[in-house]
Amino acid sequence: MHHKYDVLVVGAGGAGLMAALYAAKGDVSVAVISKLYPTRSHTGAAQGGVGAALGNIGEDHWEWHMFDTIKGGDYLTDQDAAEVFSKDVIDAVYELEHMGLPFSRTPEGKIAQRKFGGHTREFGKAAVERSCYAKDRTGHMILQTLYQQNVKEGTTFFNEFHVLDLIIENGRCCGVVAFELATGEIHTFQAKSVILASGGYGRIFKITSNALTLSGDLMSIYYRKGLPLEDMEFYQFHPTGLTKLGILITEGVRGEGGILRNKDGERFMERYAPTIKDLAPRDMVARAIYTEIRAGRGCGPAGDHIFLDLTHLPPEQLDAKLPDITEFARTYLGIEPYTDPIPIQPTAHYAMGGVPTNIDAQVLRNNTDIVPGLFAAGEVACVSVHGANRLGTNSLLDINVFGRRGGLSAAAYANSLAAHVDLPDNPVDDVVALLQRLRDGGGTENVATIRSELQETMDAHASVYRTEETLKQAEVDIAGLKARYVHVGVADRGLRYNTELLEAVELGFLLDLAEVMVVSAKARNESRGGHFREDFPHRDDVNFMRHTMAYKDGGDIRLDYKPVVQTRYQPMERKY
Amino acid sequence: MIKAKSLTDARSQAGSNNELTWWIFMRISGLLLVFLVLGHIYMTFIQVSESDATYDAVVSKLSNPAWKFYDWLILVLAVMHGVNGARYSIEDYVRSRPNRFWVKGVFFSVVGIILVLGTVGLFSIR
Amino acid sequence: MTVTQERPAVEVADHQQLVTLKIRRYDPEVDPEANWQEFQVPVEKGDRLLDALHHVKWYLDGSLTFRRSCAHGVCGSDAMRVNGVNRLACKVLVKDLGGRDGDTITVEPIKGLAVLKDLVVDMDPFFEAFKSIKPFLITSGNEPTRERLQSAEDRARFEDTTKCIMCAACTTACPVFWNDEAYFGPQAIVMAHRFIFDSRDEGADERLEILNEKEGVWRCRTTFNCTDACPRGIQVTKAIQEVKRALIFRKV
Repeated sequence: MHHKYDVLVVGAGGAGLMAALYAAKGDVSVAVISKLYPTRSHTGAAQGGVGAALGNIGEDHWEWHMFDTIKGGDYLTDQDAAEVFSKDVIDAVYELEHMGLPFSRTPEGKIAQRKFGGHTREFGKAAVERSCYAKDRTGHMILQTLYQQNVKEGTTFFNEFHVLDLIIENGRCCGVVAFELATGEIHTFQAKSVILASGGYGRIFKITSNALTLSGDLMSIYYRKGLPLEDMEFYQFHPTGLTKLGILITEGVRGEGGILRNKDGERFMERYAPTIKDLAPRDMVARAIYTEIRAGRGCGPAGDHIFLDLTHLPPEQLDAKLPDITEFARTYLGIEPYTDPIPIQPTAHYAMGGVPTNIDAQVLRNNTDIVPGLFAAGEVACVSVHGANRLGTNSLLDINVFGRRGGLSAAAYANSLAAHVDLPDNPVDDVVALLQRLRDGGGTENVATIRSELQETMDAHASVYRTEETLKQAEVDIAGLKARYVHVGVADRGLRYNTELLEAVELGFLLDLAEVMVVSAKARNESRGGHFREDFPHRDDVNFMRHTMAYKDGGDIRLDYKPVVQTRYQPMERKY
Repeated sequence: MIKAKSLTDARSQAGSNNELTWWIFMRISGLLLVFLVLGHIYMTFIQVSESDATYDAVVSKLSNPAWKFYDWLILVLAVMHGVNGARYSIEDYVRSRPNRFWVKGVFFSVVGIILVLGTVGLFSIR
Repeated sequence: MTVTQERPAVEVADHQQLVTLKIRRYDPEVDPEANWQEFQVPVEKGDRLLDALHHVKWYLDGSLTFRRSCAHGVCGSDAMRVNGVNRLACKVLVKDLGGRDGDTITVEPIKGLAVLKDLVVDMDPFFEAFKSIKPFLITSGNEPTRERLQSAEDRARFEDTTKCIMCAACTTACPVFWNDEAYFGPQAIVMAHRFIFDSRDEGADERLEILNEKEGVWRCRTTFNCTDACPRGIQVTKAIQEVKRALIFRKV
């Protein structure tokens, strides 16, 4: 079936829903395609808050926020983007409130704010209350509010449509190909502008806070066209996930006074970040936790986790501010956080890298030129605001600020075109061939087995600590898995809700992205933000103050580099 | 499914049904019936001994219009309360429109007859 | 009809136990009738029901179909009827379902919505009901430059109903909804409650009139199934009663 819209949004999380709202303001027809129902998107799992220098509790300025974002990103952040970002976000938060988002409130009735990792006053002097929150369900509230606004505006949704190809003809994006889950039918969507807002790819790791559906589909599809992915070696590990499960325990817990302790009961973060202690940026805390575990100071019989201690906080405070995370601990671990510490370990959380864009969310096909008609926002995109390490709360800002800019840019571009670009003759051929090969190939390899082996190897060799040796091992493992992937088999031959088939397709995306991550990481012989090389433990600004751009080149990966934009703040050593 | 597109639509559709009134009626009649029936039981079985409960005694008591009204109130409230409760059940469980029409029609007719007979019987006592 | 798979004995490691999942299967492309199928699944102590279902899908029968995403009870994809009551598969542990050695756990799709395949139901009527109560903040006049003020007490008034993740566990646990697809069900009322009792909202009258319609809030029989089913612990029946009270006294 064929559909035609002016602006098409792929993904219905925060960025996609915001982009759809703003595109619709430009008097163009808009449709949103998602492989889930919009309210299932993983924006809803975000907990702690959205950071903006409102100054509702203590004095705060957008310059401080900008500085923290850049320093948190270990100076790989593009500073023009960070400036736009920290200014825009203040209005974005007020706009969310006007849309109806039920923020928690201060006694005066203003939006409540709390401390969060890496957010400081006066350029690093002390922690500041910057995170605007709605209990510990801020992401849920953002997703609900943005979906409600789309219902109000009558946005067209194609729910449970899995996008499997981007149509890029003569360098211009003119639509997408999607698979309808309910019927197995292939649809073409012709559009003047396409906005990618499909989120991250955390499922390359085993211990992850990401949803099962986060397989980096659109990143991989973009990459397979020979177009670049930026900074893929930078992946954030959130310090506090429930042990073994990876379920997120918000940084807001530490913002409310929670303390990390090793098996001796020591508050070990005092040694790693004397000024802001437990509220250091995520990469530093995650490394500190693994350093403790490796030194034999981990908790539990196997010494493989650390305790997050809330027992000194009054139960009323936990109930009022952190009801969900206490419930997670009770439901999944049978732990009562009032009286017992919560066992945690770092969990794969957020991709700093992704599809390269400029600050107007236009997608780049190299260091300077754009792909006309293609836009990206949210985790799928790399602007790069987050640099080498994203600060907590900044992802919920990212979706609002760049979702909005993406929607506006896409509508403006659509209005500038008199007519739709013609689609190529057989736009669905590749997708049909891919599905046919998987469904009828009669292969014998099991998708789940390959996926779990991929996740094991990524956890073991490409997570918080990396060396050239481990990365080489990961590369070899991935190559072996890719060879086996050619022979995967799918038992379900049906058309209706064939989720087994789609899991097989998603595995292909995961394998590609894991490979790009490992190759990019192996070439970066330094340690910066979320990328830590034990064989090169220091930051090397002379050789590596630059973004990685990875291109698919036949069966290989070609790496190129892009300069970092520096405006206000010069690189300094990163101490907290 | 709700079809109202505007407040006026919603108001006119909501105005065309008495569900709110019935809901309140069920609460009030239920409460009243508790006291009325308890009073009735007290007067019939406790206050009066077995030998006194003759036909003549009942007739003489009911010749008082106040007691006539008391019994009639029990009759009407109980029947209406019961009938509306049964209507809820019919609407919950009889889904086909023609079936529902006939079930309700027969049920309401029977109850109507009972109500009329009861009233006639009560007021024919002089 | 119950089909038991003909398989060699499943290997069970020391730290695992074997449970039987009895799953309601339906795939009109294969068989126009739904039937029960049993699977033997090894589970560990902390395993969610979702993990057991994944074991079946990934290693025993790839055609088993169900929705899932976040796997920790915040996205609302995997509501299903487990041992006769509505639960999120990712928010209930197998051991809490009496999942000891040899026990059987029954898993069916949620009731009252058309089954499309196995545990996947047609969610569209559910979302249509949600949309009908105007689920968005309604205000008039100009927006303030900064945030609207709202006291912590006013915010607490509707806290409970903001937790809803639209998993449909409440609506599909409601006996009235099973028999009357026109009734818009507990979830839509919960969503209306979230706005009616928000001090910033000016659309309460409009929503109350909608809820006062024939298939509206008066269809509720107060069976508390919805409250029992809610994986977020929302006091659903209480919220519905508060809406009824607001309708009677016309005061929010």
